[in-house]
Amino acid sequence: MLGLLASILDGVLIGAVYGLAAMGITLIWGVMDVVNLTHGAMIVAGMFAAYVLVGAAGVPVYATLPIVLAGGFLVGVGLYWLSVHRVIGQPPLMSLLSTFAVNLVLVGLGTAVWGTDLFNVPASLPGFSLGRYTFPGTHLMAALLTGVIALALYFFLYRTRLGKAVRAVSNNREAAELVGIPTARVLALAFGLGVALASVAGMLIATMFPFTVLSGDAYQLKSFVVTVLGGLGNPTGALVAGIALGLVEGLTTPFVPVSWTLVIEFILFVVVLITVPGGLLTLFRRRRPA
Amino acid sequence: MSEALLSVESLEAGYGEVQVLWGISLGAQSGKLTTIVGANGVGKTTSLRAIAGSIRPWGGRILFKGEDVTRLAPHQKAARGLALVPEGRQLFSAMSVEENLEMGAYSRHGARRYASRLERVYELFPRLKERRTQLAGTFSGGEQQMLAIARGLMSDPDLLVIDELSLGLAPLVVHLIFSTLKTLKDEGLSILLVEQNVHLAFALSDYAYVIAEGRLFTEGAPDVLAAKPEIRRAYLGL
Repeated sequence: MLGLLASILDGVLIGAVYGLAAMGITLIWGVMDVVNLTHGAMIVAGMFAAYVLVGAAGVPVYATLPIVLAGGFLVGVGLYWLSVHRVIGQPPLMSLLSTFAVNLVLVGLGTAVWGTDLFNVPASLPGFSLGRYTFPGTHLMAALLTGVIALALYFFLYRTRLGKAVRAVSNNREAAELVGIPTARVLALAFGLGVALASVAGMLIATMFPFTVLSGDAYQLKSFVVTVLGGLGNPTGALVAGIALGLVEGLTTPFVPVSWTLVIEFILFVVVLITVPGGLLTLFRRRRPA
Repeated sequence: MSEALLSVESLEAGYGEVQVLWGISLGAQSGKLTTIVGANGVGKTTSLRAIAGSIRPWGGRILFKGEDVTRLAPHQKAARGLALVPEGRQLFSAMSVEENLEMGAYSRHGARRYASRLERVYELFPRLKERRTQLAGTFSGGEQQMLAIARGLMSDPDLLVIDELSLGLAPLVVHLIFSTLKTLKDEGLSILLVEQNVHLAFALSDYAYVIAEGRLFTEGAPDVLAAKPEIRRAYLGL
């Protein structure tokens, strides 16, 4: 019984990081209606950035976070101008193809440099004991940092002028232009933020699990599931849904082989798409009188 | 003729393959209320969208405060003091009233004296102050139009351009908003208005343009226009 509880709790900790990654997807989708297929590659980029910074440059593991965050942001802004700006407002297939192409290039480059071997980022923190079970300190730290980043994002979007401009562009791009918001630059900023979130999530995942250049696909799929669970374009929903997904994983792993986890997650995904396409949070939201 | 605040010369514009404007020339004077009237689909809204920069003009020139702004993006024109209140309001529906107003002052032009602008706008539209934390999307049509105008005023514009002011609004609300416009005009604000209610528009404006089929049909002072038989028949229903 205690084992199951511990498994669930650990799932929640890991799920928070899934939520962080999904916030990156959902932010970009919400602001510019683009499904960012470089997401997985950016998660992997965060992993390898941490690996290189710790291994070659000797940076302390958690000190890589601000570096990965800033680097991810700059890469994201660059990617926006390179591959996304020209397809904004075009049919969805255009941005899918364009971001998928960048994804292929990045994964190809990564494979050329690192092959497909397993890597890990050596991180150890004192764990937290619950009876016979010990929660890895890295999992606790990852969830904690996720919370801090999520709060910071919330503060940015709801309390700062620039953050409000991001929401305004997301809400009505033409009106945002008319009130004087340089929308193209705001879109680039939002894309940079989305990529920064993905790469930081990758960095945090790297402190918990081994990874390869090809790990991005699985985490990208999880991010899609979380994004839909939380409601497209809703960062808070993404975080909650990430935790929910982690909870489901924690609940199932003691009973079914690990290879079934993705199957169960996708069944959940399909069920949610059919029953509550607006995301799980709509279940709790009271309907506004029309 | 006093110096033109806005001057549009032989403007041509359209959508895709379809040309809507065939060389329209018009202007707006400082401190005056100028109206553009015309039937549905003759290019009134298209003119305003081209002036504000939401669509790219195909030809012609737009001068604002003496500067050629023909090819500028809307946010660049907003920063120069040109505010468009678009057709259909186009509010930030998922944001609160106050956030809408804050965004209205986004351009550097209006960021100065933000607090006093906000106070002034709440004075003009007390109803907005009562509902400052409410989401704009939950508003009635009249309240939305008030908020749209208030948002336009937040940038402290040199020229306030309003598209289809009274469209879909109850007569009482229309009168309320028109009296507010009159107050603003009396304070010296320059306004360019597209309006389907020609009676009301003529009563308030200093100068009017009549557009038909993407071309300028006629122009002049409202009382002069209202005396012309063809205008009386076509637009005033007399």
